[in-house]
Amino acid sequence: MSKQTEAERELAALIVENLNLEDVAPADMDPEAPLFGGDLGLDSIDALEIALAVSKHYGFQLRSDNPDNKQIFASLRALSAHIEQHRPQA
Amino acid sequence: MSAHWRQRPEGGGFFALWLIRTIALRCGRPAARVVLYPITLYFFFRRGPERRASRQFLTRALGQRATVWQILRHIHSFASITLDRVFMLARGERGFRLEVEGLDYLHDAIDEGRGAMLMGSHHGSFEALRMLSQRYQKAPLRIVLNKQQTPAMTALLEALAPDIGERVIDGAQDPASVVLALGEAARQGHMVALLADRGRQDEAMLRVPFLGEDAAFPVGPWLLAASLRIPVVLCFGLYLGGNRYKLVFEPFADTRELPREGRRKAVRGYVREYAARLESLARTHPYNWFNFYDFWHDTTQVVGNDAGAGVGRDVGARA
Repeated sequence: MSKQTEAERELAALIVENLNLEDVAPADMDPEAPLFGGDLGLDSIDALEIALAVSKHYGFQLRSDNPDNKQIFASLRALSAHIEQHRPQA
Repeated sequence: MSAHWRQRPEGGGFFALWLIRTIALRCGRPAARVVLYPITLYFFFRRGPERRASRQFLTRALGQRATVWQILRHIHSFASITLDRVFMLARGERGFRLEVEGLDYLHDAIDEGRGAMLMGSHHGSFEALRMLSQRYQKAPLRIVLNKQQTPAMTALLEALAPDIGERVIDGAQDPASVVLALGEAARQGHMVALLADRGRQDEAMLRVPFLGEDAAFPVGPWLLAASLRIPVVLCFGLYLGGNRYKLVFEPFADTRELPREGRRKAVRGYVREYAARLESLARTHPYNWFNFYDFWHDTTQVVGNDAGAGVGRDVGARA
């Protein structure tokens, strides 16, 4: 498993907390593993939860009309990169 | 084993829809309705699986073996509603008598501005709901339609009712985008309509009692409602015969108070309650039932959906 970056660790914690993933430790999430349909077993409803949590926590919206959604939600790494690229800078 | 409903022809395809549309709009409803008799006979004799499904359903709903006459009536009722869709899309309420019951429940939900989720079914005419939605501009109606799976229906919608067509959420996108789009619609205070009685192969289903035997219902629509924390209103567009329709709204649940931990458990309760309500209407209005396939045993083959509940199709069974 490749190492989590700082931003990925923060996002992993947010996901685990918001989805009540009881048997997953944020640090154990493989940043390159698929978020959906893989070991984590997340689904599209979880995507909605993640989007809501991201908008609250980072202050920007993941949008339905983004043609790259499939890519963005592919892994923790991809999602984190997208967030870091688009979140409003403090 | 009979072929699954999704593998059956899309109720006619482009040519049949064009034909219906042309005859209907050129000649008017009374003339077009005459054509329904030969169509009914054609379906009865040529579409064995649908005929058997009708008999199976009616036998359960009526509590005694369905007669040929009852099956013909069932098919004729389906044909009538299908024809009326054209008129409703093209001309709205004109020419129909539309009774509405329980509209206050819908108003209450919409007035809060949190959006509302309308749970429908393949029982009766959902188009009747669209007629009503033309009266309510402030809370547009949003539906999910898989544009790739039902190109003929999509083309019809876009040709006859472009305003509705524009507001269709395309179910063919990746699941995350569909769900996000529904979330955005709800946040804008829109009405989101889903049909919660059919599922797909890759969708988590729950088997609950329905007309004497367990049948599988999708859990995705309910999980979605729970995630959006919006009021859920049941909606049934009953065809009463002739030119009469009745829209019934019933308050169902407000998911706002639902604790996150108990969500998936609560959803099981919702599915049961919904199935019970649908059963009751299936008994009082049996000829409105439009799931022309073996509703109780075909679920392992469910592979698609045409209007509504394809949402959350990748939903797993995570507790």
